[in-house]
Amino acid sequence: MNTIQEIQADIVEEFAVFTDWMDKYEYLIELGKNMPLIDEKDKTDDHLIRGCQSRVWLSCRQEEGKLFFAADSDAIITKGIISLLLKVYNGQTPEAILAADEAFIEKIGLRENLSPTRANGLVSMIQTIKGYAAAAVDQAARPAGKNDLESDVIVALRQVYDPEIPVNIYDLGLIYDIQADADGQVFIRMTLTAPNCPIADDVVAQVREAVADVPGVKDVQVDLVFEPEWTTDRMSEEAKLELGML
Amino acid sequence: MQDYMDARRFFPALDRQIYGKPLVYFDNAATAQRPQAVLDLQQRLCVEADGNVHRAVHKLGAEATDFYEAGREAVRSYLNAPGRENVIFTSGTTASINLVATCFCQRYVAPGDRILVSEAEHHSNIVSWQLACERCGASLEVLPVDEAGEISVEVLQQRLEKAAGRIKLLAVAHISNVLGIVNPVREIIETAHRYEVPVLLDGAQGIVHEKVDVQALDCDFYAFSGHKIYAPTGIGVLYGKTRWLAEMPPYMGGGEMIETVRFEKTTFAPLPLKFEAGTPNFVAGACFAPALETARQLAEDPQLQDNQCAMRDFLLEELPRIPGLRIYGLPRDRQRKIPLFSFTLDGAFPADLAQILDKMGIAVRSGHMCAEPLLRRFGQTSMLRASLAPYNTLAECETFLAALRRAAAMLR
Repeated sequence: MNTIQEIQADIVEEFAVFTDWMDKYEYLIELGKNMPLIDEKDKTDDHLIRGCQSRVWLSCRQEEGKLFFAADSDAIITKGIISLLLKVYNGQTPEAILAADEAFIEKIGLRENLSPTRANGLVSMIQTIKGYAAAAVDQAARPAGKNDLESDVIVALRQVYDPEIPVNIYDLGLIYDIQADADGQVFIRMTLTAPNCPIADDVVAQVREAVADVPGVKDVQVDLVFEPEWTTDRMSEEAKLELGML
Repeated sequence: MQDYMDARRFFPALDRQIYGKPLVYFDNAATAQRPQAVLDLQQRLCVEADGNVHRAVHKLGAEATDFYEAGREAVRSYLNAPGRENVIFTSGTTASINLVATCFCQRYVAPGDRILVSEAEHHSNIVSWQLACERCGASLEVLPVDEAGEISVEVLQQRLEKAAGRIKLLAVAHISNVLGIVNPVREIIETAHRYEVPVLLDGAQGIVHEKVDVQALDCDFYAFSGHKIYAPTGIGVLYGKTRWLAEMPPYMGGGEMIETVRFEKTTFAPLPLKFEAGTPNFVAGACFAPALETARQLAEDPQLQDNQCAMRDFLLEELPRIPGLRIYGLPRDRQRKIPLFSFTLDGAFPADLAQILDKMGIAVRSGHMCAEPLLRRFGQTSMLRASLAPYNTLAECETFLAALRRAAAMLR
């Protein structure tokens, strides 16, 4: 298995032969058409990343300490880029995935596709991939046999995104309190970045679903509050870095 | 050749090269380009008269106020509104609709009441009402459009009849930003008024393509943005009848919307300032004068008018020749279609097409167009939209068609 850096270098070399954008796009379209797809049955809302231009679905499985992703999108160029990302990340360890960057996308001249304003779901998808990797690392770091429900809930919350912001809601600092008792009753107090957020119900529903899926959770209660008000000070260092605020 | 080529000279942005190709700007329904006269005034005000409006005694503030109020007068005259008190400056169509949704509902809507919107509305004309309804215990009712994209005045009448006084306001687009159909607003307003239901027209597209006389139309509110009619971004207008505006409570509190402030009780400034809390975007407001003058010149030039119809007819003819292409919004009467085309193409996703067209220098819109419910009505999550302005040309339409064919071939 090649390292992430080696695979990225190969892709950059591969793209170097294309002298104009047309050939590059044709190649991406080809890649998109031949990409290994997510199982139709996995194309559920749980695996859906929404963007205003297109939708992306992503699932992850773990095998012998390595992560394997499958995905789909309704936009073929987006799919082509996803297929490059999967080529890079599939079969890698969670630690290697967390340590990697996506600078090769810029080197092959597709930077505009990864701009956070592009709203094609790609940026959120990379965040979701990293979220899966972080969850796998957390899982591995936990003492065997000890079921720490609260940290499982945090792992689940890290999979939930405000569709406009490429940072998960936990690292954004939207979660004010998590309480999980031994009976599997989970209570979450959270906020949103703005009180009149039009997708508030959506985000709360996603939180409820994500947490309900955590093994051991029997009941989820989500309390949406706007006191105290959310500010960017609540974001984690990583989140600030991600959004270019540091 | 034709005179309409002259129109392009007003708009310096049209000379841009995109990836080495001449720009074909077909996203005018999102933002129209600004003419030189607007750019000049913007620059001049920023340099010469950057003083706060309505409050400063000094020369800079006085000049800024004069220009800002001249912008208001230009809007008043363009709409044939009765007075300046009927013309409120906002930050755009969305802000205008939110203002009415909040303040009208607070004053006139009670639990159990309903607000009626059409199925073909922009999210701004849906979500604002949803939020307002939630706050006052009212509900949102939806007036459907047919397969062609048209609103039936007959269905509207049945709805109003059945609702027996529970519908407190009808909010509908003058022209849908997806379908490009001029709605029969005169009949809609007449019908609504027979049931004493006031009507808000979302004029974001309508102001650009139709002659709007708010008194002749008799609409209760008319909302539009500056940036679609050659003015800068960040400015918009709410026209309202005095009877409503006078009774509605203020929207935001703050500077310049007050008469006297005491901790026990504040009294408010007369219209329109009652609704203009805080320092307004006075440079952009002033720019309505040259922007609407440009709009008037473009609208009154018979050759440009012919050109607009020719481009529309050409694309209506040629687009469907591309196999698998479906246009949404085909009114029975072709004259009620503006040169705006939303469509899907089998086997080619809109975002992909838009991305490839961009590389060919062509700017179009893709995505849900801020009208998810309407797209869903046609079984789509995404469309491609080409929207034309009077400064576009038939030659550009041909370039666009050729590029579209090529992009489709790449994707299929």
